[in-house]
Order: sequence, then structure tokens, then C-alpha cells
Amino acid sequence: MINQTNNILDITGRVLNIQRYCSHDGPGIRTNVFIKGCSLRCKWCGNPESIRLKPEVSYDPKKCDGKKCSICLKAPFPEGGFYFVDGDDTKVKVNWQLAAGTTEEMVALCPTGALEMFGKTMTVGEVMEQVEKDSSIYRSSGGGMTISGGEVMLQPDFAAALLQEAHNRGINTAIETACNAPWANLEKVLPHVDIVLHDLKLMNSERHKKWTGVGNERILANFKKAYETFPKIDFIARTPLIPGVNADDEHILGVLEFIKPHKNVIDYELLPYHRFGLGKYESLGVVYELDDYKTPSEEVVQRYQAMIDKAFGRTGEK
Amino acid sequence: MSKDTGRKRIAIMVGAGYIPGINAVVAGASLAAGKLGWELVGILDGFEGILHPEKYPDGGVIEINPRVLNLDPNTGSVLGQSARIDPFNVRTINKDEMVEEVDMSDELLKKLKAEKIDAVISIVGGKGLTILYQLQRKGLNAVCVPRSIENEIASTSVSFGFNTALTFTIDMLDRARLAAKAAHKIAVVEVQGEEAGWIALQAGIAVAADAVLIPEIPVDLKNVAAHLKDKMSGKKSWGLVVVAQGAKIINQHKNEEPVSTLKASLSPLATSDSNSEFVIHSSGQAAQAVATGIQLRIAEETFPMVIGPWVRGGAPSAVDRQLGVAYGAGAIQALEAGKNGVMVSFVPPDIKFVPLAEAINKVRTVPAEGMFFQIADSLGIYVGK
Repeated sequence: MINQTNNILDITGRVLNIQRYCSHDGPGIRTNVFIKGCSLRCKWCGNPESIRLKPEVSYDPKKCDGKKCSICLKAPFPEGGFYFVDGDDTKVKVNWQLAAGTTEEMVALCPTGALEMFGKTMTVGEVMEQVEKDSSIYRSSGGGMTISGGEVMLQPDFAAALLQEAHNRGINTAIETACNAPWANLEKVLPHVDIVLHDLKLMNSERHKKWTGVGNERILANFKKAYETFPKIDFIARTPLIPGVNADDEHILGVLEFIKPHKNVIDYELLPYHRFGLGKYESLGVVYELDDYKTPSEEVVQRYQAMIDKAFGRTGEK
Repeated sequence: MSKDTGRKRIAIMVGAGYIPGINAVVAGASLAAGKLGWELVGILDGFEGILHPEKYPDGGVIEINPRVLNLDPNTGSVLGQSARIDPFNVRTINKDEMVEEVDMSDELLKKLKAEKIDAVISIVGGKGLTILYQLQRKGLNAVCVPRSIENEIASTSVSFGFNTALTFTIDMLDRARLAAKAAHKIAVVEVQGEEAGWIALQAGIAVAADAVLIPEIPVDLKNVAAHLKDKMSGKKSWGLVVVAQGAKIINQHKNEEPVSTLKASLSPLATSDSNSEFVIHSSGQAAQAVATGIQLRIAEETFPMVIGPWVRGGAPSAVDRQLGVAYGAGAIQALEAGKNGVMVSFVPPDIKFVPLAEAINKVRTVPAEGMFFQIADSLGIYVGK
């Protein structure tokens, strides 16, 4: 994945998307760099296209010209990857197993943009060119660049180079991470970060494994070590709040107990679960594993927010 | 060939998702294999028994032939189940304790060879057919048995599992009708069928429902509501609407998704949009959307119900039991005839063998000009046509 190069700008990584004018992942107006590849498999994940490291084809039937076009039914597209069914439906269907071999070059042949490739290799220089477009906005709003994912710690050399280069250009840096990675990866990345937005999904390890694929022992150890090793970084804990998964006192109190001894954990944010990513699962042919879970009620969110505010010594309206 | 005897050694496995009657297929294959003097073994939990035998204290491959006399076709699968069977994308935790999907297809083939398995009979649905097709192209001798609740697998007139689901659905719709009648309301019952509306249409005809909504025909709820209003304008004070899970509703906007802070953590592609036609796939949402949509349009009360996974349990119907046994025996016949890379297919009155390449990438939908629509129409059932 990483090119052997002496020039920091030439280091490459797998990028999913770059989104400008973001206002929630760190202070001010920011540019979010979404990188591809994650080391967890959270069943509620809203970014299914970010999960796998390798590039993936996606299909949007709304953009498909169907039988008028049919280009994806012929070479060079994978044999059997795309097909039609009998009946009134003129849209192409995707056999996701066989379509897995679709490449970026093939996707470029789709005239309507119905086929899209998630994940492209970019250099630090190319990413920074995009990020730097809004430098003046960062300065006026107190914003900067946030690397989100996927999991930033899965591409530590690329992420470290990108963050370092942002710092070189005077741009504030933030990352969003769940920290399920070897400490060596964190050691590369964290020295170049101003703000760490980090997930604490489930404090109970058995439940963490059930919902994300792995236990949380290393994750918690990583966070504790990170708080202590990098006292100048502002850490903000986050929980995607999902009724029936982690919207309970045990978890919220567990997080507060875990973070409170560390003064550089400056806040704890709740992210009420929403099924925003659902349509994307269909466009990737991926099964959504959290089918019947609901958004938490306002009442539940407010109750836990009040607990957090109290723990952080905040009173009154936020 | 068998490790000890030199006779043919065939393995049988089941794809993801339980369907009543799997043991019937296993029994059929076992009896037919036994008659030929072949050995039949079962791979536990999809391909897990071969890929991860360490999980099984008694081994991941079990003998079937001697057990068959005690194999009750009415009980759950003797082979167990796995949530996913795709050896090309096996979810694993790597040495760095990170989750990833890896291609274990080569390892699977190697392990099957080490077990001296000559061929694999796979009881699979649509996606499983493609997986076995890919494995067959890599050198596996494979014969597939089609199984499906919604009967969408093409190249066979019926998959086993469908008849049981249909029978159970009809029973449930009868109950829903009585409930609707007693409450003077409209029951909106969601039934299985993401891609094909066979269960909804056939069950709807059997119980003489008022309307049937299937994936093949997008409908405007305005028309469904008008039909119900018309039917309920006389003495009838109740209604019954059957909705396939994959029903398509037109001219109805999705509810606007409220802005949440979580959205900020999502990639730009997460933005929900509304369009003139949308498909509902999540369990229960079709019934909810249709019930709400009707109630908002006419002065009648509706209540949504979901049959959902109930159809996957229980004993197979008489039809599925005999079909399963026949399919199992048919798979052995295919291997005996030297067939490889085929799906056993019921083309009345014969059992035939269809190449997997012809079986995949087809969906057996309800034909637009078919007799079932004419029957439904003659019964006064609204189907959107």
C-alpha cells in the first residue's frame, strides 16, 4: 500500500472520499478525508463502502440506462457480473460475487455513472491539494482537516504523512478512530494530531466482540496509553448510541469512569444511531446486519446527555 | 475416493439460512448413495466444518450413511447452519487482531482433497449457486440442490422450501383475516418475497385477499386505498392486504430523515434521498409503510402484521418432504451420470440437471401476463395491474 519514497508528498494511501465544509468532526469548518479499510465490523456501520481496504464497485440503479446501454454485460466487465432479468424491470442487476473483479478502468466505461468505484489510491500531495483549498476558511473558523474512515490506524504511514504535512502547512489536524490496531501504528500517527475523536462503542468486552467482531481489551489499553503518552492532544470520546446495543447505564457510566481520570479527555459525545447508510448497503450488495434497530428516543438521549454534562461539570442549557 | 475402502466419497453441505426439509434432501442423497455403495459425509455449518475443523470436538465432517435410518425429515438440519458460506470472503481476525475478509477458496479445495471428497452436493439458494459456480470453475466437482422460500430460483419450476412457506403463510393469512373481521379493520400482512411475489400472490389468491402487492408490479397506494374503500362501501367492514417484503411503492416519498450528529461521521454518500419509487427490504417495513399509507388515504383503520422468519421453522410440508428426498436422490443420480457443475431441477414430470452457468443470474419472477394475475383479477383482488 505504501510506496517506498523519501518524499512525504509521494506516499500513497487508499482514500474513499474527501468532503469539504464539514462541521461536526472537530472544531470549526473542516475537510474530512475518508480513508478506506476498517479493522472492526460494527453491525450498525453507516459507511459500508469504507469497511474493506480493497476498492469496491457500487451500483446505483437510479442512474442506470438499462437495456438501452448494456455495456457492463460485455467484456471487459467480469463474465456474469451484470445481467438482466425477464420482465418489466429494465435495470441491470448485479451478481456481487462475480462483479467483484470490476476495476476502476471498467467503471470509467459506464456512461451514466451508475457504476462507481469506492476507494482510489492517492498521494499525500494529491490529498493536500484538495485540503488546502479551504485554508482561509480553516483559519477564520478555527477548523482544519479530519481523517475519518474506515480506520485511520490501518494506514498509519499514509495517515502520519498526511497529518504531518497538514501541520507543516499550518492546518489543524483531527482524526476519528476506534484504535483497534497495534500500538506501533498509534505511535506513528498520534504525534501529528491535535484532536482525537475516538469511539468507545461498548465497555463490556464480550458485547463489544458480539457487535463489532473483536473484544475491547486492546482498544481500551491503547486509549489509556494514548491519554498518558500524549497529554497535549485533546481527546473527545464518542458513542454511537443504539437502543438494545449500548444505550444503557452500564455503558455510559462505564465510559465516564474510564475517561474521567484523564484531564485531556475534554468531552464525551453521543451520536444517536440512525439508519443513514442503509441505501449504501444495497448499492454494494452487502447485507445490513442491524435490520430492526431503532433510533434512540429524544428522552433517552437527553437522559444520557444530562449524565455526561454532570460528569463534566456542565450545568444549564448547552 | 474413501480413505479406507476406495469407494466414492461424497460430501453434502447447506448454505446460509434455514429452510424446512433439509434433512429430507440429506436422507434422499444418503439412501441413493448407499444404494450405489458410495459413502456420504456431511460438512457441518456450511463450509465451516472443513475450513475450521478445530471448532468441532468430534470433527467438522460427519458420517451420514449409517445415520440415515435415524434421520427424521421433520426435524432441523443434521448438518447445522452457518450465517455465511462464502469461502471467497471469510471473515477472520488476523494476527494483529484486526477483522478482515480473506479468500480461503484455495484452502477449502485443498482441505476437501485431503478429506478425499470426490464431489460436493450443496443445498443452496441464489447466492450460494454463484459461490458453487465459482468453486466449480476452480476445480470442485459440485452439484447443487435449489432451496428457496420465495421460489425465485430460475431453471426449476419449484425450489424445495417454497411449498412449506406457502402453506404456513396461507394458514397465517386465514388467522389474520379472522382478526381483521373481528376488529372491523384492515389487516396488512407482510409475507416473504424480496425479489419474487409468488408467495404473496398464491397465498393471496388462496385466501381471497382484497389486495396483493408484489415486487414485480410497483403500485400507488392511492389506488390500493381506493380499491379497499370500494370493497368496504357495502356491508363488509374489514379488509386483508398481502404485501411481499420487496413490494415497490410509487409516488410516495420516504419520511425525511432528521438531521443527526451521527451524519457528520458518515461519508458523503450517506445522504438519504427520496425518489418516486422505492423498495422496502427490511423486515416489517413494507407492512408498516402500506398500512400507514392506506390509513392516511381512507377512513379505515389498518394494522400491520409480519410473518417474517416464522416460515423458516417447523416441519416441511408433504410436497417439500417428497421434493427434498427426490432432489437429494437426484443429486446422486447427477454424479452417477458424470455430471459436474449442475443444479438439480424439477421440470414436471422430470428431474433434470441444469448447468450452473445457466442457473445463476436469473430470477424466477411472476410473469406479467401469467394466469395467476388473471385469476386474481377474476377474484376481485387488486394487484396493481
